[in-house]
This record gives sequence, C-alpha cells and structure tokens, in this order.
Amino acid sequence: MKILASISCAVAVVCLVSVPVSSQTKGAPKGKAYIAPRLADGKPDLNGIWEVRAKVDADLEGKVNGKNIIVDPADGKIPYKPEALAKKKENFQKRATEDPLNKCHAPGVPRLAYISYPFQIVESANQPVIAFLSQYVHTLRNINMQGEHLDGLELWFGDSRGRWEGETLVVDVAAFNSDTWFDAAGNHHSDALHVVERFTRTGPETITYEATIEDPKVLTKPFKISLPLMLHTEKNFQIMEYECYALKEGPTFTVGDKPDPQHAK
Amino acid sequence: MSKQLFVALSIASACLAQGPGRGPVNPLLNGNPYVSPQEVKGGPIVRLPDGKPDLQGAWLQRTVGNSMSMYSIEATPGHPKTSIPRTAGVIVDPADGVIPYQPWARQREIDLSENHMVEESDAHCFLGGVPHQMYTPFGMRILQPPGFVVMTWEFMHAYRIIPLDGRPHIHPSIKLFEGDSRGHWEGDTLVIDVTNQVARTWLDQSANIHSDAIHVVERITPVDSNNLTYEATIEDSKAYTKPWTIRFSYSRILDPKFEHLEFACIEGEVDVAKH
Repeated sequence: MKILASISCAVAVVCLVSVPVSSQTKGAPKGKAYIAPRLADGKPDLNGIWEVRAKVDADLEGKVNGKNIIVDPADGKIPYKPEALAKKKENFQKRATEDPLNKCHAPGVPRLAYISYPFQIVESANQPVIAFLSQYVHTLRNINMQGEHLDGLELWFGDSRGRWEGETLVVDVAAFNSDTWFDAAGNHHSDALHVVERFTRTGPETITYEATIEDPKVLTKPFKISLPLMLHTEKNFQIMEYECYALKEGPTFTVGDKPDPQHAK
Repeated sequence: MSKQLFVALSIASACLAQGPGRGPVNPLLNGNPYVSPQEVKGGPIVRLPDGKPDLQGAWLQRTVGNSMSMYSIEATPGHPKTSIPRTAGVIVDPADGVIPYQPWARQREIDLSENHMVEESDAHCFLGGVPHQMYTPFGMRILQPPGFVVMTWEFMHAYRIIPLDGRPHIHPSIKLFEGDSRGHWEGDTLVIDVTNQVARTWLDQSANIHSDAIHVVERITPVDSNNLTYEATIEDSKAYTKPWTIRFSYSRILDPKFEHLEFACIEGEVDVAKH
C-alpha cells in the first residue's frame, strides 16, 4: 500500500509538473504557468490593445465572473474610515455631475485600466518608458522604467515607476492629487494614495491586473483588486478617439468634418 | 485670450519641467520649450535588429531662423492683434513661403484671425492634427515596438500610433482629430500617409486652416544619430489650389533622464467656457 501510495503521489507530481509544460507548448492559458512571448531584450511582451470587457467601472465593490473584484479584504468591500464612507455615499448621490469622467477629466490610476475603453500598451526593447495609450480622451500614461518618484507634485495619474519581477510588470504609483475616483459609484481617495500595480500575462489573450491600494487618510487598511484584461484580436483593430469634451462643446464651435458652410463658396 | 491661456499653460508646464526631482535640465531646451536652439552632431544612424533606422528617444523641433511654426506655419509679417510674431514659417514649396489658399479659405483665415481667435484649437485642449502635432512644444518621444512607430507628446498628452503592416486606412466617413496614419519605410525614410482628419483643427495658432479633405504625406529621415529631417506635403482640394510642402528638423534631447511630465488641460480649463 505504501509503495502504491508513493507511486500515485509520484504520478500526481509528474502530472502537475507536466501540465504547465504542455499548456505552454499549446499556447493555452493555465494560471501562472503561462510564459509570455519576449521582446529582443528578453522582457515579457505586453504589446497589444487591451480592455477589461466587463462592468468593473460601475462599482469596484462588485463582481466579475462571479468573483469579487476586491480580493482583499475577503468581504469585497473597501475598508473606509467612517467619514470617508459618508463621503462615498455622498459622491454616489451626486455621481451624475461629480464623477470626473462625466466632466471628461482624467480617470487616474487604477481606474484607467478598467474603464470601458481600449488601451494600447506600447513596449519596446531597452527603452526607458512603457506607454499606455487609451481611447478615452487620448490619454497618455507613461510608465518610467528608471528614476525615482518625483517629489512635490500632485498628478492626475500619479508618478509611475515600473520594474520587472519575472513575468510581471510591477508599477509603483505615487504623487497623486485627490480629484479622481476609483469608479462610477463614487469610491474615492485622498492625495495620500499609493498604488502598486501588477500586470501579468496569464494567457495568449489575457493579462491579470492586480492593484494594491493604500491611503492612510481614507482607508483603515490597504485593499487589493484583481481582474482580467482581454486582448483585442479583431483584424486591423485600432485605437480610435473618444474626444469627450469636444463633443460637449456648444453650437458656436464647428466640431465636425466640414468647413463652416457660410465661409465656403 | 486664447493666446494668453496658451502662454499660461506653457509657463506652467515649463516650470514643472524644472521642478524638484528632475535632475539637470536638458541644455537643448535652454529655457525655450518650443525650439531647440542648436544642432548637436551625432554619430552614424542607429539601427534596429531588422536593419531599419532606430528613431527611438526624445526629440525637439529645431526650426530655422526666427521661425516658430507653432505660431505660424507660413511666412507672416506678424499680427499685432493676436501677438503672433514675425516669422519665416517652414514652407519650402511654394518658394514664397505662403499657403496657396483658395480665395474662400484665405478669407476665412483672415476672418478667424481678426474676429474668432477663441476658436483656436489648442485653446480648447484639442489634439493638433497632422502636421500641427509635430511642432508642439516640450518634446516628442518615439517608440518602435514590433510593427509600429509610436509618437507621444507631453503637450495635450497627445499620441500617434502608426502601423507599418500595410493595413488599409479606415473608412473615409470616420473623422479623427489626429487623423489615420499608415507608415512604411523607403530606404531610411519613414513615410507616413495621413487621412481622415476633422476640419476643426488649425495648422498653427494663426488660424491657418484646412478642410476634411486634407491629405498629408510625411517623410522622416535620420541625418545622423542626433538629428532628423521632417518633411510633409499637404494637399486639400477643398481649401488649396495646389499641394505645398513644409520642412524642418528635430534634434535629440540628449539628457537620458529627460521625462515627459503630465499635461492636464481640460481639467483646469475655465477660460474658453466664458465665451
């Protein structure tokens, strides 16, 4: 019996070990086993047009595929201080006018990753910057792969410093203003926000996006989100333009595709 | 008014660029975020593993003489009312340096500069379109991920994504502020075909205009590792009598610590809303 048990254990171990290898050769996703394609400098290749493809931005305290978006704490709720929770409820009531996205303002971090607009990750070998280019109001977010955080600035997207940990792009983001929200439900933060993001390719067409969010002015403890980003694979798919405020300007402005007819012959 | 707004934006960004933590300010910027004043000769053209020129890094336009194409793309004696200074422009064809407008379009340019400077596209935080985007201030970064040339600017957090895979342009009914760019290499020259632009953008801050029929062919050629020549031929059968061509240079921003900062525009914009 002991021998049989040992053999079955050994078989099980072999199977466990062999699964990632076979899935790798077939290019099928299998959790952490997936090894991303590499750029010329040997770093994982995150290039592509990505989008969350799920209703995450409506409420970060909701679910994707039946799982809480907030994976820590276990109840899936943001661990607000009492006064900050009251502010969240007030924001929710006023969200039609006060949501920064309804004012065409910058979504900030982490929100840029899961608003319902595609973004292209632009990564080239041996360059000091990885650029995120979103369709939402031609947003450019630079991930600096060198240097230290800037002091004394309050930025809509914070100051992003990236590094590689194996398969994962880790981005440390600080120096925020307090003007962005986490979602359309009024979840918010202060200028003490500090975010650590982790982008890991978990399959040929998926990135697992994780962010640990701390803010001692607003939260009793940090919380962590995890959600899938999907690769756009449609032929010739490209980032277009959502020029939010151009669309909202008044009738005196000729935002369109023709010259003003009263000036034309 | 729009000029004042823009100058305020420029000063704010220039101050940020010299803020704490930036390290040494790039000598090429030399206090002037619009144009790099001097050419720094480089070595041989750097190449990617596939043999194509490696244009990656940070660049700033180095226009000729007293010329700031941001202010006026064409030669002008200056315009006191709008505080546009005298400039030679960057037009090399036709030889007089002046845009070959159809009469209605010249009349509209005059009307806009005399009476409607509030419509200037920069003042509304709009993307510049092409070629205007190419001579906006604070530096341009080029990245060349596999299959693309990508350009990013601090100014208006603008970007251009230029596929090199030979795909067709998008449908002509779709109009974009930044247009639709398709690139290919002719020897060491990157050739970019740009269509699908809206008519709303200006070519500069002097109300030089185009219609939605604008078609631009750009040619970017490395001179050496530190310098690029930029040329663009602009045709527009609704606005001009014939195609015309601009040319200027870029110099590399040599400080390896140079970084783009954040350019929030609409987030703090109150000026235009008053009109």
